[in-house]
Amino acid sequence: MEPSKAPQELLRVDKLRFYFGAHQVLKDVELPIWGNSITSLIGPSGCGKTTLLRCFNRMHDLYPNNHYEGRILMEGRNILDKNEDLIELRSQLGMVFQKPTPFPMSVYDNIAYGLKLKKITNKPLVRELVEKALRQANLWEEVKDRLRENALGLSGGQQQRLSIARSLAVSPAVLLFDEATSALDPISSAKIEEMMVELKKQVTMVVVTHNMQQAARVSDYTALMWLGELVEHGETTEIFTRPKKKMTERYVAGHFG
Amino acid sequence: MRTSKPHWGRVWRNRVALTLATLSAVFGLALLFIILYDILRHGLSALSLDLLTKDPAGPMSGGGLKGAFLGQGLLTLVATLVGAPLGILAGTYLAEYGRDKKISKVILSICDLAMSLPSIVVGVFVYSLLVKPLGGFNGWAGVVALAIIMIPLVTRTTESLLSMVPWTLREAALALGSSYHVVIIKIVYRKAASGILTGVLLAIARVAGETAPLMFTSFNNNHFEFSLSRPVASVTVTVFQYAGSPYATWIDQAWAAALVVTAVVLFLNIIGRMAVKWRG
Repeated sequence: MEPSKAPQELLRVDKLRFYFGAHQVLKDVELPIWGNSITSLIGPSGCGKTTLLRCFNRMHDLYPNNHYEGRILMEGRNILDKNEDLIELRSQLGMVFQKPTPFPMSVYDNIAYGLKLKKITNKPLVRELVEKALRQANLWEEVKDRLRENALGLSGGQQQRLSIARSLAVSPAVLLFDEATSALDPISSAKIEEMMVELKKQVTMVVVTHNMQQAARVSDYTALMWLGELVEHGETTEIFTRPKKKMTERYVAGHFG
Repeated sequence: MRTSKPHWGRVWRNRVALTLATLSAVFGLALLFIILYDILRHGLSALSLDLLTKDPAGPMSGGGLKGAFLGQGLLTLVATLVGAPLGILAGTYLAEYGRDKKISKVILSICDLAMSLPSIVVGVFVYSLLVKPLGGFNGWAGVVALAIIMIPLVTRTTESLLSMVPWTLREAALALGSSYHVVIIKIVYRKAASGILTGVLLAIARVAGETAPLMFTSFNNNHFEFSLSRPVASVTVTVFQYAGSPYATWIDQAWAAALVVTAVVLFLNIIGRMAVKWRG
């Protein structure tokens, strides 16, 4: 996968340390996230990749006794700042979870939910944005006749694409994927991978995955983490074919993890 | 491995325990059916439309208990309007905002205790709070007594139902840029709505047949008026008074009224429990 031309740095993780209580989970992580590209975070379970992902949209703030040190820069501002407006931040950095999370309402209302939060209530406009989001998530053709049905009736793969469409509807700058395809069958996950590559035109994606082939297939950049540290980061082809570190070579070859 | 002989002591202990448990269950159920049979036998013969549509009359001239039924309905309705929202809000605090706090565990234990509090204790408590200082029995005191019985029930069901809603659902909504209270109202409540309604229904069923908390608070009234500042007529207190009277007509009416209350409570319970099953 060729990275898009003249990439711009959208996010920069700068000496990030993160603590659950007294326990340090992230150790001086340095990582650039390039715009309109896909960055994979790989590494063995417990290496801190999901913890890092959840720093970007400040999900850790929902739970007590956590704290951040260091910075994550976005357009020059530190989004880890205590005064950051988290509601605004989270509408700019969407997140897709491991398990599909359809809200207990119709397919249409699921997508319109985020638009309502952004005070977009003009009906023709909402309808247009709902359709656009569902098309971007490659779901429109399958659900266009069941928009009023409860979203819980969709299949697992459809529910996951619905969750993605819901995040896309509020036009975020970044989409964070937390093992978003690991609970799906191969055909459903292939559909999502295909969609992710399409989506690069509009959003930047950061993807936590246990699936090394997936990282190699879809991502432009790959970062390997181990025990809370960033081992190596670079273009995906480099990481998988000519890694600089011995540990990276062993990990991508499946020798540990 | 050596073959084990039957341990006769254990086998017999088991048989004795099983027999005792079965006997107690049969005893309890038999009592329940005798009560139901008795209410049906006496109540059906005195049951008539007059009971629900006519005002009370003297012991010799028939009449009905319209006011008592309306009064009981009013007390239960207002108690639900007061108790259900308070219970739902308390349950919301315990399951959402206070889920990691020690105080929540303490409140939940107190809730469990309050659920098994004898209702007459609540009656006497409200008597000393809202009847004696105000100089007389009044409907509001009855409402408060019933609401006090409802609140822990509704709090408990709300708390347990909200806790069953998966956390990832809240995280997904928050990750879209919702504030927490919007997530609770729009997502969590919706997911738990049918269960919370069932809980409220069962709490209504619980208070609809209460006598003791009303005897000390709203007491009784021969006439029905839409006012809670004076004593309010209620079926259960009327049954208590009529059943102890020397007049055959009143005793018959007490049986019939008891039958109606039992039927309503049974109906609410069955609906509530069926709703629980439908939710699967």
